[in-house]
Amino acid sequence: MRTMLVILTVAVIGLGAYSIHMHKENTSLQRTVLAQYTNNLTDASEKLSGLQQAVSQSLLFQDDQAMNNELDSVWRLSSEVRSSLSNIPVGQEVSNQWLSYLGRLGDEAKRTEKTGDYQAWQEKMPQVSTNLQSLSDEWTAATVDFYKNNGNMDVWVQQVDNKKPNTTFDNVQKTLKDYSEKDFPLTLSESDWQKKIELKALQDSVITEKEALEKVKNLFPIIKDATFTVTKSSDTAPYPFYHIQFHQGIRLGYVDLTEKGGHLLSYLVERPVDEARLSQDEIKKKAEEYLKQLGMNDVAFVESRENHQAWHLTFARVHPGDNALIYADGVQLKLAKDTGELLGANAMEYIQEETIKPQTPRPIDWKTFFDNDVKVEEVRKIYTDNGQFEQRLCYEVIAVRDKNTQETFRVVIDAENHNVLKVEYLT
Amino acid sequence: MRLVSLIFALMLGISIFAIPQNDAIAFTEQQISRGAYGDDVIELQARLQYLGFYKSKIDGKFGYNTYWALRNFQEKYGLPVDGVAGANTKKALSGNSDYDEGWVKAQLNAGNQFTYYGGKPLEQQVKTNTGGGGGGKSSGSSNNNGTKTQVPPKYTEKDVQLIANAVYGEARGEPYEGQVAVAAVILNRLESPEFPNTISGIIFQPLAFTAVADGQIWLEPNERAKEAVIDAMNGWDPSENALYYFNPKTATSKWIWSRPQIKQIGEHIFCS
Repeated sequence: MRTMLVILTVAVIGLGAYSIHMHKENTSLQRTVLAQYTNNLTDASEKLSGLQQAVSQSLLFQDDQAMNNELDSVWRLSSEVRSSLSNIPVGQEVSNQWLSYLGRLGDEAKRTEKTGDYQAWQEKMPQVSTNLQSLSDEWTAATVDFYKNNGNMDVWVQQVDNKKPNTTFDNVQKTLKDYSEKDFPLTLSESDWQKKIELKALQDSVITEKEALEKVKNLFPIIKDATFTVTKSSDTAPYPFYHIQFHQGIRLGYVDLTEKGGHLLSYLVERPVDEARLSQDEIKKKAEEYLKQLGMNDVAFVESRENHQAWHLTFARVHPGDNALIYADGVQLKLAKDTGELLGANAMEYIQEETIKPQTPRPIDWKTFFDNDVKVEEVRKIYTDNGQFEQRLCYEVIAVRDKNTQETFRVVIDAENHNVLKVEYLT
Repeated sequence: MRLVSLIFALMLGISIFAIPQNDAIAFTEQQISRGAYGDDVIELQARLQYLGFYKSKIDGKFGYNTYWALRNFQEKYGLPVDGVAGANTKKALSGNSDYDEGWVKAQLNAGNQFTYYGGKPLEQQVKTNTGGGGGGKSSGSSNNNGTKTQVPPKYTEKDVQLIANAVYGEARGEPYEGQVAVAAVILNRLESPEFPNTISGIIFQPLAFTAVADGQIWLEPNERAKEAVIDAMNGWDPSENALYYFNPKTATSKWIWSRPQIKQIGEHIFCS
């Protein structure tokens, strides 16, 4: 009995000591995390104030160089505040609104610097500066409690826990939403882009579930005997579609078809893949056959990539007027390396079909455009997004720099105004 | 005399067969060009490097560096210059270079930094990896030959690895479609102005992913999760442009229920 009591006492003391040790470790860890969050919060609040000043200062100058310096500061500070804000735990909605507002402000500064349209900036920014000041004040009021936490996370957690009503944060969120809409309304191109991705242009008649299933069997005869489960997209989906899941032997997969017209959105199969038996050329030929089967006769090959089970191939619609490739109207295929079976097709972009405005290309003298040690190896005409949701006719150049190191670059240049839209380092 | 001739013939025979992997049958019969990946490309890069044409990393990915090196080789050896490794090019390469497959594969599997130039002892061309392997298990996105995955140029190996970790931590019990959809949500966030503009920033944004909070993101992802990430990076989006998803059985946030829903895959509801 006495021995038992001794053992029990030792066990209790041991357990107590262990739990104190664990508690200390937890507290220390919590304090470290809290210190980091507080640091990010302070950093974001201070930089927010700096950003407001930078916007205000940008209204002082007419001189291009002085103006560009301030625009650079606005762009840099908006990125830094974004980064700090994205590293602190606040409600998802507040975070989203903040990141969006600051991103739009930074983009506007960058765009102004590029286009030189200082007048538009100076007309818009006085209001943005005032709004930023008021946002900064509301943010300070909303986050003041984060500093009253006695070194533990409880207060912070209570603040971000959305089950508890929090009027100060609700205010920040509401103000951010209002200012976002007023200060940075969607441009015409953005609004067109939004309509495009929501498939607003589809005017075909609605197909039934049975018709959708028939269409799937015609497009992909290999799964015609599969067991299918068809569900409709949720009522709140931006565009209605049929979600068709199937199972046939070793194959499991899905097809999404639009309800309007039964257009293919995407198809994907999972099945075991054996060793590669087909050559790259055979795979490409098979892919071209599949495209015909899917009714995509207006596309051309862009590139292919092999991985350990499958090949991914990209094709793009060819502009009927000038034969340039429209990258935004791309279609991707996935083919198994063993038999060349079609494992996937993605036509989401292809069915959105871009409206291309007429553009007149101007030739470029590559010898004066690039440095002396750059050699232009390939040039092709493409249409691509200029970062402002506009499809531009471009020269896509594969250029090699330095004869010895042979560094390869893909450079995309607007064919009309010769602005460089993209530079990619290729290996 | 007959005996001497016999011994000589025998020695000649042995010496012919003893030349290490220096013949046309070393490569497979497949014609390879830009976009290809795997053992044949490893051999192609190694042989081109042996001859001094290829100066980049031997990684089994037939990109532009391999392409220019091959074209230069073809030009120098009087072959048609097309950047495609067909039968004649492979034969010329095999006839003019050595390829120690075992050694090259061993370096790749160990994640060592190495080169394979001819005329220089191999032991002087390797820097041993002490960090647990770059091409081996810990890299997270390599197959058992040490070659990595090929993804569109805007993504990196690190991106594949990070998203695969998130997919495995968040959705390993889900159908393949659901795993691709989770990867696609991360990529959709990258395009959205409402989220951080790096993959790491998106995944580690506080409160964004359960797998980060409960530590499951640190589990080693399987090949299926990596394949799902590669499909998403190549454009597949079974979520149909979703920015969020949640498990209705376990979700505690009221806010997430207010998001417009798109579709359900397995246990996850995807929403915009």
